Amino acid sequence: MKRRIWLASYPKSGNTWLRLLLANLRADRPADINRLPTEPALASARAPFDRVTLLASGLLTPDECDLLRPAAYRAMARIDDPEEDEGAAGIDDTIFVKTHDAWTHNAAGEAMLAGADAAAGAILIVRDPRDIVASLAHHNASPCDAAIGFMADPAARFAEPRDGQPTQLRQTLTDWSGFQASWLDQREIPVHLIRYEDLQADAGGALARALAFFGVDASAAQCARAAEFARFGRVQDQEQRLGFGEAPRPQLATRFFRRGAAGGWRDELTPTQADRVEAAHAAMMVRLGYPLTERRRECA
Amino acid sequence: MRWYRVSGLTVTSDIALPSFTEIECADPADIVVRAGEVPAQIANARLIGPNWYLAHDSIVLGIPGVVRMMMRGGDTLIYAVEPGAAPEEVAIFLTGTGIGILLHQRRAIVLHASAVRVGDHAVLFCGPSGEGKSTLAAVLCEAGHDLVADDFCRIELREGAAPLVHPDGRQMRLWEDATEGLGIAARRGAQVRSAIRKFYVAPRAVTARPLRIGAIYALREARAPFAPGLHASNSVDAALLIRRNAYRPLLVREMDQRALYFEAATRLVRDVGIHILARPLDFAALPDAVVTLKSHWRALELGVERAA
Repeated sequence: MKRRIWLASYPKSGNTWLRLLLANLRADRPADINRLPTEPALASARAPFDRVTLLASGLLTPDECDLLRPAAYRAMARIDDPEEDEGAAGIDDTIFVKTHDAWTHNAAGEAMLAGADAAAGAILIVRDPRDIVASLAHHNASPCDAAIGFMADPAARFAEPRDGQPTQLRQTLTDWSGFQASWLDQREIPVHLIRYEDLQADAGGALARALAFFGVDASAAQCARAAEFARFGRVQDQEQRLGFGEAPRPQLATRFFRRGAAGGWRDELTPTQADRVEAAHAAMMVRLGYPLTERRRECA
Repeated sequence: MRWYRVSGLTVTSDIALPSFTEIECADPADIVVRAGEVPAQIANARLIGPNWYLAHDSIVLGIPGVVRMMMRGGDTLIYAVEPGAAPEEVAIFLTGTGIGILLHQRRAIVLHASAVRVGDHAVLFCGPSGEGKSTLAAVLCEAGHDLVADDFCRIELREGAAPLVHPDGRQMRLWEDATEGLGIAARRGAQVRSAIRKFYVAPRAVTARPLRIGAIYALREARAPFAPGLHASNSVDAALLIRRNAYRPLLVREMDQRALYFEAATRLVRDVGIHILARPLDFAALPDAVVTLKSHWRALELGVERAA
């Protein structure tokens, strides 16, 4: 029986980086970016949901899926299913499951990701929202202003069905501030917070602290080596040579590992765009330690 | 009552099952589908899922707000429409999960796959939900191949005989975008559910008799690590692909059928061959996939010219 920990983040905040670090923790050479744990290790994946509910999620409405999701995650945690768990890789007895869901509730009032009976806790990865803008715009092949609007939309969702079957279950993100607040303020499961900028400063140290929080056995040397194997330049080089199966489809964008910088917004956003982000998210930015620009501080 | 033929079995039902082929009265039927009382749970369940209870010879399963059903002994499906739900909404679950679970209870080898006829053989396409099984079968059907199965393939393995697949007797079920991409939107039948933009579409032609299996393809999207085209699978991977593409793989585990599927996988790997077909999830890329398949069928001598 494996225990499960959510890797929760707003999109483009470093979730894949953390997954790369975890995949490299026990590796003796850099992990193949195209062999990262995928389906069973992704909360919104259809296959594990279909497997455990015995249904075809494509024949259910997103609201019907939402009614089943909490019980599905509890069952995934409860039912011993070694063949499925194997695909999720994980470390020792712990499986890390990626999610871009905010901590929301379904129409029956249940937490969408269930509670402590579905996961032992969560690692929440946050990033300066001004840096997310250009990354999200690139990912969606849309202008920065559209990304800023999406990040401010309290009803923002991924994988909303239209005329076909989205590859994933619908996810409710809410707006950037709401996403972070939902995870930080829920009281069901313990949360360990990592800032993208802390990964930039010392990825090995940030990884070690996260693993220690959940009692996963890892030496400082292992964490430092994982940080080196998952270094941005290395994975970008792998993507250039072999492609990355999780990158946006070719018609949308060209690569996933784009810039990997902190503070890049200063040369990617206009002052007006940066101001729009700050105006929408000032309180949460301050809470997470992201300094506002001089002008915004004066306004506040 | 209505009568249908599905995967080599006869079914009688008190509710219309629009995806199945109707036949003349065939009493006594192998499977009975009827409305009735469905218990909320099973007292002696050996395993409890998010929406189901599994006991020795029965499963109770619910879809919130739509239907509850009990599959018993491999031959009986009792359903109870939830208050407020339209009866037309439930058929898609009876013909899919419901009949599929009955097949598992009968210890059938049943793969989650579509299939078309190539010469005197059937070729199967299996893969995760959303991987384009139905769309690929539909495009081949439009190109002159009879439809054998849209959703599940019951496989028959007899000693000394080639593996057979039984037609699932279904209409195609295609998403709105697929009917448009394939240029067959005008032939759309009813929506499978009022809130789901997926439609029944009558296939151009179907096969009614069991066919020898010519090849099994696992579908993948062509993106790293899979380049577009055909890939061989080694025998270990191939055996795993068969087990993972059982109609409901969790039931294979929990109903103690792992040995049965392991044996079937060994036979299929030996006698049929399992290949990975990677192609972009894009209607514009379908013709290339068809060219790849046709040349593979020529290499396998499946008699593609006679069928097309």
